[in-house]
Amino acid sequence: MAEVLRKNVSPFLKILPYLSIASFFVGWQLLVDLDIVPNVLLATPTQVLRLFIDKLTNENPDGAVLLVHVWTSLQEALLGYILALAVGIPLGLLMGWFVVAEGLARPLFEMIRPIPPVAWIPLAIFWFGIGLSGKVFIIWASGIVPCVINSFVGVRMTNPTLIQMARTYGASDWQIFRQICIPSALPMVFGALQIALAASWTTLVAAELIAADTGLGFLITMGRRLLMPDMIVLGMLLVGLTGFAIGILIDRVERRLLAGIRR
Amino acid sequence: MAIEVAKGTQQDLEENHSGIGVFLLHCLKNRFVLYTLSIIGFLLIWYAIAVLRILGNFMPRPLEVVNQLGIMMVDPLAGRTLPLHLWASLQRVFIGFLLSVLIGVPLGLLMALSRPINSIVKPVFDLFKPMPPISWISLAILWFGIGETSKVFIIIIGAIVPCVINSFNGIRLVDPELYDVIRMLGGNRRQEIWEVTFPAAFPAIFAGIQISLSVAWTCVLAAELVGAREGMGFIIILGMNLSRPAMIIGGMVVIALTAWVLSLSVGQLEKWVCPWKREIH
Repeated sequence: MAEVLRKNVSPFLKILPYLSIASFFVGWQLLVDLDIVPNVLLATPTQVLRLFIDKLTNENPDGAVLLVHVWTSLQEALLGYILALAVGIPLGLLMGWFVVAEGLARPLFEMIRPIPPVAWIPLAIFWFGIGLSGKVFIIWASGIVPCVINSFVGVRMTNPTLIQMARTYGASDWQIFRQICIPSALPMVFGALQIALAASWTTLVAAELIAADTGLGFLITMGRRLLMPDMIVLGMLLVGLTGFAIGILIDRVERRLLAGIRR
Repeated sequence: MAIEVAKGTQQDLEENHSGIGVFLLHCLKNRFVLYTLSIIGFLLIWYAIAVLRILGNFMPRPLEVVNQLGIMMVDPLAGRTLPLHLWASLQRVFIGFLLSVLIGVPLGLLMALSRPINSIVKPVFDLFKPMPPISWISLAILWFGIGETSKVFIIIIGAIVPCVINSFNGIRLVDPELYDVIRMLGGNRRQEIWEVTFPAAFPAIFAGIQISLSVAWTCVLAAELVGAREGMGFIIILGMNLSRPAMIIGGMVVIALTAWVLSLSVGQLEKWVCPWKREIH
C-alpha cells in the first residue's frame, strides 16, 4: 500500500519538505535582519555559522575552544552512561529472575524511580562538586532507571514454555537464567540503551547549565550571561547534533549485535 | 505466571523439611519480608553514613529530613511555605501541559491525516527534536525573563514532542483491517475518521499525554533550577546554595511523591476515558 501511495505523490509534495526547511532558515534570517526580532534576542543563522568557525580556534570569550566543550560533555556523558549500563542491566536482569534480588532491590528502586533526573543535580553538586564526578553521578542516576526497567521487563517477558522445558530437562535456576532468560531479554535491554542515552544527555545539559566550567551546557549559559544569542544557539545546535550522532552510533552497534535475534 | 507456579512447587518441597533454619529460608523467599528488610537496611545504611560522617557534613540523618519537611510546611521560605511552592510549580506544569496537549495533539493528528501538512511540518519538527528542551532555558530567559512565561515556554517545548509523535504514530499504526471493515460496511471518509481512526489511535495518544506530563514535571524543575523565585526546583537549589542537605533531600522527596501521584492519576484517568484499551501483559 505504501508503494502505491509513493507512486501517486505529486512532484510538488516531494520538494515540499526541502522547501519547508529552506523557508524556515530564510524566515529565521529575515526575522532578525528586518528587525522584527531585535538582534540582542536572536542571532541569524549566518551569525551562528560565523561564530562556529571562529570558535573552532578562538578560546575567547568563554575560555575554551569548541572541541574542548564537546569533548568535556561527551566524556562526562559517556562515563556516566557506561556506569549506568554496567550497574543497571545486571541489576535489572537479576531482579527479573531471582526473588531475593527483586525483594531487596525493588523497594529502593521504586523510591528512586519517580525522582526526575534533574532533581539529582543539587544533591550531586553538593556531594561531589562541579567537576567530573558530580556530573558522572547525575548521569548515572538518570541512566540507570531505564536500564533496570527494561532488563527487568525483558526477563519477565521470557516465554514460560521455554523455562518449563528447561526445568523438565533438569536445568538449575542459574542455568535457566543464563541460557534462557538473558538471551530472550536482549532486545528489551538494547531498547534501554537508546532511552538511557536520551535521558543522560538531557540531564547532562541541565547539570552543565547550573554548574560547570566547560561543556556545551556551559557554553549556552555563558551565551546568556554575555548576552550573545549566537553563542546560545550554537550551543543548542551542537547539543542537538551531538546527541543525534551518538544516537545513530548506538543504533548501528545495536543492529550489528542483534543481527540474528530480532525479527 | 508459569514461573510462579514452578517456584511454588519448589517451595512446597522445601517446606516438608521442618526446622527453624528452613523456616528462615522460607521467610527469605517471601517478597514482603524482603521488601521490609530492604527498606530497613536502606534506612540503617543512610543513618550510618550520616552518623559516621562518611560524606562529611553533607549527609543529613533521615529524621533531620523529616524535621526539615515539617519546618518547611509551616515556616515560609522566600515568602512561601512548602505547599505554596509546590502549588507554584504545579500551576506552571498544568498551564504548560494543557497548552502543549491543545497544540500538540491536533498538530500530530493533522500531520498524520494530511500529506501536505506533514511535508511542511515534519522536517522542521525533526530539526528541533534532538535538542533537549532544557537547552532552551537560556534562550527562554533571554526572551521572556525569569517569570512565568519562560517556564511555561520550556514546558511546552518539552511536552509537545511526545504529544505530536504519539498522535502521529497512533494514527499511522491503526490496524488497516479496521479500515477495510468500515469501507465494506459503506462508511464514508468522515465516518472512517470518527468511527475508526480516532478511537483506535486514542490509546497511543493517551500514552503520549502521559509521557508529556512527566516531561513537563522534569522541565519545570530544570527551569526553576536555573532561575526562579519560587517552586520546588527553587527549593532544592536554595538548599544547595545554603548548604542545607536536609532541605535538598526533603525537596526531592516531595518532588518524587508529586511525580508519582501525577502518573498514578493519569493512569486512572486513562482507565476512565478509554476503557477499550487492550492491556499488554
